Amino acid sequence: MKRIHQLIAFIILLTGINIQLNAQSYKLPPYEKFKLKNGLTVYLMEQHEVPIISVSVILPAGAIYDGEKAGLASLTATALKHGTKNFTKTKLDEELDFHGASINTFASKESAALSARMAAKDKGKILNLLKEIILEPSFDASEFEKEKKRLLVSLEQQKESPRAVIASYFDKFIYGDHVYGNIVQGKISTVSPLTVDDVKKFYAENYLPEGSAISVAGDFKSAEMKTLITSLFSDWKKGTKPQVNLASKPIPVPAKQQVLLINKDDAKETTFYIGAPGISRNNPDYVSIDVVNTLFGGRFTSMLNDELRVNTGLTYGANSRFTALKNGGTFVISTFTAGKTTEPAIDKAIEVLNKLHSTGINDTSLASAKNYVKGQFPPRYETAGQLAGLMTQMFWYNFDESYINNFEKNVDGLTLDKAKQIIAKYFPKDKLQFVMVGKSADIKKIAEKYGPVTEVQIKEEVKKAF
Amino acid sequence: MKRIITMAFILFAISTQAQMKAEDVKTFTLKNGMKFLVIEDNSIPNANMYLFYKVGSRNEYQGITGLSHFFEHMMFSGAKKYGPKLFDQTMEFNGGANNAYTTENVTVYTNWFPSSATEVIFDLEGDRISSLSIDPKMVESERGVVLSERSTGLENSPWQLLFQTTQGLAFLEHPYHWPVIGYEDDMKNWKQADLERYFKTYYAPNNCVTVVSGNVKFDEVKKLAEKYIEPIPAQPAPPKVNIVEPPQTGERRVMMQKDVATPYLGINWHVPEAKHEDYYALTILSDILTSGRSSRLYSSLVDKKQLATQVFTNFGESFDPTLFIIAAVTAKNINENDLEKAIYEELEKIKKDGITENELQKIKNQKLMEFYGQVETINGKSNNIGTYEVFFGDYKKMFDAPAAYNKVTAEDVKKVAVKYFTKKNRTVGVLKSNTEE
Repeated sequence: MKRIHQLIAFIILLTGINIQLNAQSYKLPPYEKFKLKNGLTVYLMEQHEVPIISVSVILPAGAIYDGEKAGLASLTATALKHGTKNFTKTKLDEELDFHGASINTFASKESAALSARMAAKDKGKILNLLKEIILEPSFDASEFEKEKKRLLVSLEQQKESPRAVIASYFDKFIYGDHVYGNIVQGKISTVSPLTVDDVKKFYAENYLPEGSAISVAGDFKSAEMKTLITSLFSDWKKGTKPQVNLASKPIPVPAKQQVLLINKDDAKETTFYIGAPGISRNNPDYVSIDVVNTLFGGRFTSMLNDELRVNTGLTYGANSRFTALKNGGTFVISTFTAGKTTEPAIDKAIEVLNKLHSTGINDTSLASAKNYVKGQFPPRYETAGQLAGLMTQMFWYNFDESYINNFEKNVDGLTLDKAKQIIAKYFPKDKLQFVMVGKSADIKKIAEKYGPVTEVQIKEEVKKAF
Repeated sequence: MKRIITMAFILFAISTQAQMKAEDVKTFTLKNGMKFLVIEDNSIPNANMYLFYKVGSRNEYQGITGLSHFFEHMMFSGAKKYGPKLFDQTMEFNGGANNAYTTENVTVYTNWFPSSATEVIFDLEGDRISSLSIDPKMVESERGVVLSERSTGLENSPWQLLFQTTQGLAFLEHPYHWPVIGYEDDMKNWKQADLERYFKTYYAPNNCVTVVSGNVKFDEVKKLAEKYIEPIPAQPAPPKVNIVEPPQTGERRVMMQKDVATPYLGINWHVPEAKHEDYYALTILSDILTSGRSSRLYSSLVDKKQLATQVFTNFGESFDPTLFIIAAVTAKNINENDLEKAIYEELEKIKKDGITENELQKIKNQKLMEFYGQVETINGKSNNIGTYEVFFGDYKKMFDAPAAYNKVTAEDVKKVAVKYFTKKNRTVGVLKSNTEE
C-alpha cells in the first residue's frame, strides 16, 4: 500500500459529513422519521439501486455503563447472537448464512449497535431474526462461556500489536476515572469473572426502546416497511426507571505535560500519540475544526504527513484526529517510527504543531482543505448501509439533514481569520499528553525529555488510572 | 443518425435499469495500446479512475525484490509538469484523493474525485506516465517510508511473518517466493538504474488497463484520454515470466518464533491461477470452509471443538498458479498439532462425502449478495471490472460470474478438494513463542 488510508478526521462519524463541489448541491435523499408508542425512533429511506436492504440500530448500552465490569457492554452485544426465543445459535447462524445475510452486534464507548444487510426478498425472515436478537435473546450459558474464552485469548493477543492497544491506554491516561476512559473490550481481570447473569442484568437495564433508534435504508416501499417495523418492534417494553447519563460528569483536564511509556520488550518501533482534550460532537465549530484538521493531519498532503513522511521518511504515515463523543472528546497526533528515530519523530511532530500555531495556514492551504473536504464527501453516503448508519448517527448526536444539506455552505463560510481562531481555540499548545509503546530500555531517556514518565509493562493489565 | 439513436437508447436503458449490466461498460483502446473501460453512473457527483499496471513482485528477481512496490511509491514523487509533491497537492486542491497498492501480480493506482476534476486527473496521470522524474533525493526519503511500512507490518501482526515465510517455502523457484514488500537488504540497495529501467519497461500505456466510473460521459472520457494519454508512446511488451514452479512432491514444514499468546497456523496448498477451470469450484470450497459461522471449519473448530479462536481461508486471483491458504489461531491450552489434525479431518470429510446441496445453495446465495455489494458503489464497480479484465481476460466475466458459480456442482467441489488437498502438496507454517519444545 502506498499509504495508510487517512483516518477520517472525526472518527465518530465514519459515514462522513461533507458535500460536493458540483453545481447541484448534494442533498440527503428523502427519508421518513417516526416514533413508536414505546419510544423507539424509526427512520426509513428508500434506495433502489440494488435489491438489498440495510439496517442500523443504536442503543444506549455502551461501555460507559460497564461500572467495575470492564468489557460487559461489549460481551452483552456479542451475546445477543447466542440464540433467541425461537432460534438456537446454530440455527440462527445457518439462517443468516443461507440467505447471504449478515447481522453484526457490537458495543462502542457510548452505545451498542447492530447492523444488518439482507436481500430485499428476504426482508420478512431476516428482520424477524433481527427483532428476536434485540427483543428475545436467550443468552445461552454455555455459548457465553465459549465466547468469554475466545475474548480472553483475544485480549492477550492484542498485546502483540502496539496499534491495537495504544488507544485504550491513551483514553485511560487522558480521561482518568471518567467513564469515557472505560476500555470497551475489557481487561483479562474484569472479563474473567463475568457470568451470563451479568449479561442478562446489563441487557435488562440498558436495552430499552426509548433511547434507541432503528434505521432502514434500501429497496423497499416505505408504507410496507413502516407496517413491518411497527408490528415487529411495538412489543418492546419501556424501561421502568430512567437511565442515568454517566458521561455527563465533568471530564478532568490535565494539569501538566506528562508521558505514559508502555514497555514492549520485543518492539522495534515506537508507536506514539501526542494528545489533548478535544471537543464534543455538538460543538458549533465542528465543521470548521474538521476543515482545519484536514490540512493539519487529516489527509496525505497534511502538514504532519508531509513533514514526517514525505520530507523526512521517518514514518509510513502520520495523522491527527478529533474523536468527538456526546459530552467531550480527544485530539491526537498519531504515528510510529523505528526505535532509533523516536526522538526526531516526536520532535518533528511537536514542531509541526507549533508551526500550525505560528505560520501554518494561508488562503491557498485553506482553499485546498475546503475543496478536499467537499470533494470527498459524496462517496461516504453512497450505499444503503452508509445511509442507514448516518440516520442512527443523526439520532444519537441529535442533528438532522440540515447539517448535511448546509455543509457546503458552512465549509465555504470558513474564513482565514476564523480558521486562525479555530487553531488557537481547539488545537493544543501545551500540557500535551504523550503515550508511547516501545522498548523502554532504548527510549526511556528520550521519553523523559517530554515530561514526567509513568512506565508500565504491556503484559500487565491497564491500570484503573495513571 | 444511427449513432445518435443508439446513444439515446443506451441512456434510456441506464436510467430505467438501475442495476448494472455488462452493456453498461463501454470500452475503447488508444493507439498506444492502453485500454479504457468506462461506466457512466450519476448516482453521486463523483468519479474515479483505476489504473491496473501488469507489474508486481512476480516481475522481480533476487537483488531487486520489492522494487515493484517501491516504484508504486515513486509514481507520486514528481514528473515534468507537476514536480515533487505537486501530484498530491494538485489532486487534493481539486477535491480528489488517491491511493495505490501492489501485489505479486499487479500495481493498481486509484483516484477518487468530484467529477468536475476529471480533466485535472487525466493531466496528472498523463504527466507521470509520460515523464516521471526519479529524483535521487526523493528515492532516499521514500526508501525510509517503505522500510517503515515493512517494519510496521511485522510489528503489528504475526500473520505477516507467517505468510511470507510459508509462501517462500511453498515457492522455491517461482518469483512468488519473495514477499511483495521485498527483502530488507534489497530494499536498502535498489539502484537508480533499476528504477529507470522499471519505468520504461512496465509503465508503458500498453501494459495498463484503465477503468473510469461515475458521473462522467463516455465521449468526454475518450476525448480526454486521446488528449492526455494517447501521445505517450507504446513500448515493447515486457519480458515474460518464464519460471514455472516444479510440482511439490512432499510436505514442507516451517516454524517461526515470535512472542504470541497462542500459536498461529497457516496451511498452504498449490492451486491454479484465475483463468483455470477449477477457479470457481475452489472459490466455493473456500467459502464452504470458512464463510460465516455455519461454515465447516468455523462451526467445527471454533464453535464445537473449541480448538481455535479464529479460522479463515485465503484464495485470490493471480496470473500464475498460487496458494490456497487455511489459517487459524490456536485456542488457549490447545496444542497446535491437534488443531492442524482437526482441520485435515474436516477436509477428509469433504474429500470422501462431498458437500450437501444445501451448503452449495448457501454459497451461491452469498455470492449473489457479494455481487450486489460489488456494484453498489462506483469504486466497487471500477475495482471489480478492472480485476476481471486483467485476471480473467475480459471484464464481461464479472457479469457471468453469478452464472459461473451457479454451474458449479457439489461433485465439482469434492473433485477439487480431492485434487489439491493432498499431503505432498501442502506447506505448513507454525508461529509460536517457544520453538524449542
